[in-house]
Amino acid sequence: MNKNRIGKGRWLFAAGLCLYFQMAFSFRDKKQEAREKTEHNETLRQAQGDKQQITGTVTDSNGVLPGVTITVKGTSTATISDNTGKYSITAKTDEVLVFSYVGYKEVTVSIDSRSVINVTMQEDSTTLKEVTINAGYYTVKDKERTGSIAKITSKDIEKQPVSNVLSAMQGRMAGVDIVQTTGVPGGGFDIRIRGLNSMRSGGNAPLYVIDGVPFASDAIGDSQTSSTLPTATSPLNAINPSDIESIEILKDADATAIYGSRGANGVVLITTKKGKAGKTQFTASAGTGTGQITKKLDLLNTAQYLAIRQQAFANDGITTYPYNAYDVNGTWDANRYTDWQKELTGGTAVIKTLQASVSGGSSQTHFLVSGNTYTQSTVFPGDFDYKKGAVHVSLDHESDDKRFKVVFSGGYDVQDNDQPAADLTRISRNLAPNAPALYDADGNLNWENSTWENPLAALNSESLAKTNSLVANSTFSYQLPYGFMAKTSLGFTDLRHHESRTDPSTIYDPVYEAGAEYSSIFLTTSSRQSWIVEPQLQWQRTVGKGKVTALVGGTFQNQESNSMLQYGSGFTSNSLLYNLASASFSKTFYDDVTEYRYQAFFGRVNFSWQDKYILNLTGRRDGSSRFGPGKQFANFGAVGAAWLFSEEKGVKEKLAFLSFGKLRASYGITGNDQIGDYQFLNTYQSSGTVYDGTVGLSPIRLYNPDFSWETNKKLEAALELGFLKDRIFTTVSWYRNRSSNQLIGMPLAATTGFTSMQSNLAATVENTGLELTLRTVNLQKDSFGWTTNFNLTVPKNKLIAFPGLASSTYSNQYVIGESINIKKLYHFTGVNPQTGVYEFEDVNGDGQLTIADAQTVKDFSPTYYGGLQNQVRYKNFQLDFLFQFVKQLNWNAATQYSAPGAFGNQPASVVGGWQQAGDIATHQIYTTGLNSDAVNAYGRYATSDAAVSDASYFRLKNVALSYVVPSYVKGLQCKLTLQGQNLLLITPYKDGDPEFRSFNYLPPLRIISLGAEFKF
Amino acid sequence: MKNKLKTISIFWPVAIWGLLLCLATGCDNFVDVDQPNSQLTGVAVFENNTTATAAMKDVYAKMRDNGLLTGKSVGLSNLLGQYIDELVCYQTGITTAEPFYTNSLTATNGYVQQLWNSTYNQIYSANAVIEGVTASTGMTTTQKNQLIGEALFVRALLHSYLAGVYGGCPYITSTDYQQNSTVHRLTTMAVYNLCIADLEEAATLLPESYISYERIRPNQYAARALLARLYLYTGQLVQASNEASAVLNQTAMYVWEPDLDKVFLKECTSTIWQFSAGGGYANAQEGALFVFNAGPPPTVALNPLLYTAFAPNDQRKNHWIRSITDGTTTWYQPYKYQQDNSSTTTTSYSIMLRLAEQYLIRAEARARQGDLIGAKEDLDFVRNNAGLSPTTAVTATDLVTAVMEERRFEFFTELGMRFFDLQRSGNLDATLTPVKPGWNTTDGLWPVPQSELLINPNLAPQNAGY
Repeated sequence: MNKNRIGKGRWLFAAGLCLYFQMAFSFRDKKQEAREKTEHNETLRQAQGDKQQITGTVTDSNGVLPGVTITVKGTSTATISDNTGKYSITAKTDEVLVFSYVGYKEVTVSIDSRSVINVTMQEDSTTLKEVTINAGYYTVKDKERTGSIAKITSKDIEKQPVSNVLSAMQGRMAGVDIVQTTGVPGGGFDIRIRGLNSMRSGGNAPLYVIDGVPFASDAIGDSQTSSTLPTATSPLNAINPSDIESIEILKDADATAIYGSRGANGVVLITTKKGKAGKTQFTASAGTGTGQITKKLDLLNTAQYLAIRQQAFANDGITTYPYNAYDVNGTWDANRYTDWQKELTGGTAVIKTLQASVSGGSSQTHFLVSGNTYTQSTVFPGDFDYKKGAVHVSLDHESDDKRFKVVFSGGYDVQDNDQPAADLTRISRNLAPNAPALYDADGNLNWENSTWENPLAALNSESLAKTNSLVANSTFSYQLPYGFMAKTSLGFTDLRHHESRTDPSTIYDPVYEAGAEYSSIFLTTSSRQSWIVEPQLQWQRTVGKGKVTALVGGTFQNQESNSMLQYGSGFTSNSLLYNLASASFSKTFYDDVTEYRYQAFFGRVNFSWQDKYILNLTGRRDGSSRFGPGKQFANFGAVGAAWLFSEEKGVKEKLAFLSFGKLRASYGITGNDQIGDYQFLNTYQSSGTVYDGTVGLSPIRLYNPDFSWETNKKLEAALELGFLKDRIFTTVSWYRNRSSNQLIGMPLAATTGFTSMQSNLAATVENTGLELTLRTVNLQKDSFGWTTNFNLTVPKNKLIAFPGLASSTYSNQYVIGESINIKKLYHFTGVNPQTGVYEFEDVNGDGQLTIADAQTVKDFSPTYYGGLQNQVRYKNFQLDFLFQFVKQLNWNAATQYSAPGAFGNQPASVVGGWQQAGDIATHQIYTTGLNSDAVNAYGRYATSDAAVSDASYFRLKNVALSYVVPSYVKGLQCKLTLQGQNLLLITPYKDGDPEFRSFNYLPPLRIISLGAEFKF
Repeated sequence: MKNKLKTISIFWPVAIWGLLLCLATGCDNFVDVDQPNSQLTGVAVFENNTTATAAMKDVYAKMRDNGLLTGKSVGLSNLLGQYIDELVCYQTGITTAEPFYTNSLTATNGYVQQLWNSTYNQIYSANAVIEGVTASTGMTTTQKNQLIGEALFVRALLHSYLAGVYGGCPYITSTDYQQNSTVHRLTTMAVYNLCIADLEEAATLLPESYISYERIRPNQYAARALLARLYLYTGQLVQASNEASAVLNQTAMYVWEPDLDKVFLKECTSTIWQFSAGGGYANAQEGALFVFNAGPPPTVALNPLLYTAFAPNDQRKNHWIRSITDGTTTWYQPYKYQQDNSSTTTTSYSIMLRLAEQYLIRAEARARQGDLIGAKEDLDFVRNNAGLSPTTAVTATDLVTAVMEERRFEFFTELGMRFFDLQRSGNLDATLTPVKPGWNTTDGLWPVPQSELLINPNLAPQNAGY
C-alpha cells in the first residue's frame, strides 16, 4: 500500500520532468525562428556603421561597482560592468549611455565622441521602492506590493559576527521578535512573528523556505543528549549567514495566504547568493573574534555568605554545626573567596571565520561557488568547540532567446559541536563562595576529602552533536507566448544528526572507585529527508492602462523522519564509551519513522490599473497527512489592495513634498498544521517498559479522527509615505490576527482514561499591533552620507474566548482578556514583622494560601520593542550601529534559588534578612531549610509578583566599522572590518542578561571581531 | 502554416500544464500515509495473540510503575501507610506525602488527582483489551478467554481500591469517552458488587494454572482470592470462606512458606499473584522506597507505634522490620522487601495477593458465621508461623478482633490493608484519633479531585470535609 503511494509520488516527479523536455522540444522550431530573426537584425544594424567602442570604470563611494547595467538609450544594446567595475560597449558618437543599478541613482551621460567614460554612482534611497521583493511564488516591486513584507539583505547580515542568521535579524525588523535561548554555539532561538498565535507551545514557529524549499523547523535530537541546550537547536544553524543574499519575512494575510496552512505564524524566505555576469571574481575573507559573557549576577561574597549561614543556624536553633555543613563548620577555609562565575563561565571564546568564493559568468550563464568555515571555542574551562563548514553552489543559465532558464542552488553544511553535557552557569551561581580550590597542589582535580563535587569533573561528561545538512533546489522555467510562463521548482533536503551524551565514571569522586562499569551513554540518531515538486504556470498581460498577472501552481511534498534514542551502560573501559556494542546493558527507548505528506494547489491574480490601483487575490487548497480522512483538505485565501494616491494628479500637484504615498489593506485566512504526525490515528505504541520479558503495547491517546486545521484570520491596514524625494520614508501598519479553532488537548474527565483529547477548541487568541518603520537619509554627499533606520512594534496578545476555561486544567494558566503568555502569581505583601516570614495576599479570604490565591497576572510578552540603526559613511570609512530596545518583564533570580540560609550562594540582594520580632526587613528570616514555614513561604515568593522584575533594556546590539583600503594594485580591493555584538547594555534588571529567558543557562556572548576581505 | 504551428505550440504546453495542475488537485490520496513503524492500529494489535498479550502486559507494567498499586512513593502502600498509623513522613511540603501523614488532604492535592487519573487510565487500557479481544478475528477462544479474564480481573481490582479510598466511584466498562465523561459515582458497596460480578466472570474464563511461570499473570485462583476479599468486605461470609477455601485447597500450587525471610522473594510458593519487576536488575520497588541505610530517613520510616505494638516474640518484628541507629536515635523501616534496586540479580517482585490473607479471610468469615474452631485454626496457623502462641480469643467477637489485630501485623505497608479493615469495621476514628493529631471523622475518605468535579458535575457531591 505504502509502496504504491511512493510510486505515485515518483511518477508525478517524473511526469514533471518529462513535461519540461516535451515543452522544450515543442518550442524548438520557434526558437530557431527567433534566433534567425535576431541574427538578421544584427547584420542590419552593423551595416549602418558610425559606431565606436566606449570603455570605462564604474565606481561608488566604496570603490568599483560591478554588475551595473549600461544601456545605449533608446536601443536594446546593453552590457554589464565586470567585477573590477569595467565595461565596454559599442555606440554611436552622438548617443547617450544610461548607467543603472538597483539602489543607486541612475546616471545618464552623453558620449560626445569620447571613448573613455568613467562614472561614479551614488546610493539612492529614492529608488529603494523599486527594489524587487521576493514573495515566495512570485516577486513584486516594493512600491506595488499589497502585502506586509519585511526584508534584510546581505549588507546587514554581513555586518554581524554571528553564526546563526536569526541573531543578525534581531532588532532590525518590525513585528519580528527574536530571542536567543543560549549563548552556547549551536543553540536555539525563539522567533515570534507578530506574537503567539497558538496555545500549543510547539505551534508558533514560522515556515522557513530556503530558495523555494521548505525547511522543517521541528526540533531534531533529544533532550537526553542535547542537555547543554535549554531548548531545541535552531534549524537555521545549518545555513551559513554569509551565503544569504536576502531574507524576506511575510507577515500579513496577503503575503502568507499563498502558503496556506503553513502561513499562520508568518513565512521566512531565505534567498541565497547568486553569481553575476562579468569577469570571474575571487573573494576571500578572514576574521577573528572573541566572545565573553555580558553580565554576571551580583552574588554574596564570603563574609556576607557566612554571616547569613551562621544566622540561619542560629534562627533554626542549631548551635553545633552539622558535620556536612562544610562551609561554616570549619572544614572549608572561611577566608577563601572565589568568583565562581569568573572561574567557570568567565573564559574567552575565540571565534575564527574563513570564507572564499568565486563567482562570475557570461550574460547567459552565471555561477557562484563558496566555501566557509567557522569555529568557536568556549567560555567554559576546557577544550570545547563548535565547528562549522559549508559549501554553497549557485548556477543559472538562460537560453539564447532568453526563454528557457534554469537556476540551481545547493548548500551543504556540516556542524560538529562538542560541548560539556551541563552548562556550568547554574553551578557557577550556586557554589558557596568559600568552596575549595579546583585543583590540588599536584594539579589534579581537588575533591577536598569528598566534601564537594568538583564542578570541573562534570566537564568529563560531554555532549557531542554532528549535523550534516543538504538543501538543493532547481528551478526550470520557460517563457511561452501570450505572456505565459511555465515553471517547475524541484527541491530536496537531507538532514542527518547524531548526538551523544556521556556520563563517564571519571565524573565521580575517585574515592568511590567507580570504574567504567558505572559509565553510560545516550545516543540519538535522527535524520530527515524531504522532497518537493512545485509546477507553476504564470501569465502576464497588459491591456491599455491595466496589467494582469496570474499564477497557478501545485505542491507535492514528502518528508520522512527517523529518530532513535539508545542507552548503554556498564563498560569495561571508558575508551569504549562511544561503542554501544561494548555496553553490558543497552536499551533502545524509541526507534521511529514518521512520514509527512503535503499537497496543495495555489493561485494568485493581481490586477493593476494605471499602477495606481492594485488588487491582489491569493488562494490555496491544502492537504496534509497530519489530519484524518475527510479532514485533510482545507481552503485558505486572502485579498489585498493598494492605492498609490501619490500618483493621483491632484496629490502630485498640491502635495509636491509628498514623493510617495500608498494605502494598503489585506484580509485573509491562513492555517497551522504544526501538531506533529499521526495524531489522528487510533494506535498503540511500544511503551518501552518491560513486563514478563515483553515490551508492552500501550494505547497512546483517545481516538479523535475529526480534528482539523487551526485557522488564523489576519487583517492589516498600512500607510506608506515618502517625503522629499523619499529621503524620509515611513510605514505605519496596524494588524489584527485572530487564531481560532485552536488545536489543543481538550480537557476531559479522567474517567475517560485520559485527561485530554487532541481536538479543535473554540478558543480564540488575538494578536493586534502597531508597527512603525522610518528611514531617513540625513545627509547624502559624495564623500559623506548618513542614513537612519528606525522600527518600533507595539504588540498586544489577548485570549478572547475559551469556553469552559474555569473547569479545565488550563484554569490556572490562562485568563480571558489577558495574554496567553501570562503567569498567575501570589501577591507579595512583605515580611511579617512578628514571624519574619514572607506574606502574601489571601485573595479569597479563606485563611489559607492555596493556588486559588495566585491571582496576580503578569504578562511576559513584550510591551514594545524595536531597533534604531544608523549608517555613517565618510570617504573610505563606513560605520553602522544598531540599538535594540525592548520593554518587558522577566523572572528574576528569586525563582532560581532556595530560601536564603541554605548551603549555596545567593544574590547579594538577600542581605538584610529579618532577625527578631519587630524588624521591618526586606527579606525573610534565614533558614537552613528546617524552618518549614519559611521554606514554604519562599516557595510562594518564587511564584509571586516579587519574583518578576522589569527587564526592559536598551542595548547596543551591533557596531560595524569598515574601511576600504586604497588600492595600489590594479584589480585588488581590500576591506578591513571591526565588528562588535552585544556591546553595551542599559537596563534596570539586576539578575543577568534581561533579554535572556533561559535562566541559569549561558546568556548570549559579547563578541568583538576583526576581519579582512580581499576581492580580485 | 506558420499560424497553425504557433497555435499548436502554445496549446500543448498550456494544456499539459493545466492537466498536471488538475491532477494536483485530483489525487487527494497523496496525503494518505501509512502508520509509523513503532505503532500499531488498535485493530491490528488484537489481530494476534502476541501483540494482544503485549497490550495486557503493559497494563500490569503501568500498575506496577504508577497508580494505586505501585510500590513507589505514589502508591497506596506508602500513602495509606502514612495516612494511618503505619508510617512516619520525613518530608515537608504539599508536593510530598506530608499532607497524607498529617491528614490534611485537599481536593487539589496532586497525588489525589494523579492516582485517580492514572488508575482510570489503567482501567481504560483494560477495557480496550476487552473490547479489542472480543472483536478480534485472529485469536482462538482460549486465547481470548485468557486475556478477557485477565482484563476483567484488573478492572475489578482497580475499581475496588478506588471505591475504598474515594468513597465510591464510577464503574467504567467501556472506552467510549462521551459516555465516560459524564458518569456518576456509585456507592462503595455497589462498586464492590460490580467488582464481584467481573471477578466471577474472570474466574470462569481464566485457567487454573498460571500462564506465566513466575505467577506474574493472574490465574483463576487469583480471581477467587480477590473474590474472597470482596465477599468478606460486602459481608457475604459463606462465599468468602468458600472462595478462600478454593484457593487454600490448591495445596500443590500454594505451598506455605515458613521462612519469613523468603515470603517476599519472587519464588515464594505462597504468592498468588505478583508484578514482574522492570527490565535490567530491578527489584520490587517497595525495597527502594522503604530501605535506608543511615538515619535520619530520607523520606519515610515505620511508625514506632507499630513497632512497639508487636508482641515481644513476634518473629515478623525481627524479620520484616529493620532498625537503623545513629547512636542516639533509632529509626525503623519496613523490611519485607529487603533489596533496593541496586542488586545484581532480581530477587523480589511486588506481591499483590498472598496466601496468608486467604487464611485470615477464612478465619474472619468463619468466626462471623460461628465456626469458632475453624476460625481459630486458620488464625493460629498464621500466628504459629510468626512464632506466636495460639490465640486466647474465645468468643466470635474476640476472634474477629484478634483476626483484625493479626492482619495489622501481617499486612503492614501492603497497599493500606489496615486502612480498609478499619474502614469496613467502622474503627477508623476510634483507632486513629488518639494517635493522629490531624485526624477528623471526615478523613475516612479522600476527596474526589477538584478538577474532576469541575469538569464532570455528575460526580458531585464532594466527600464531606473537603
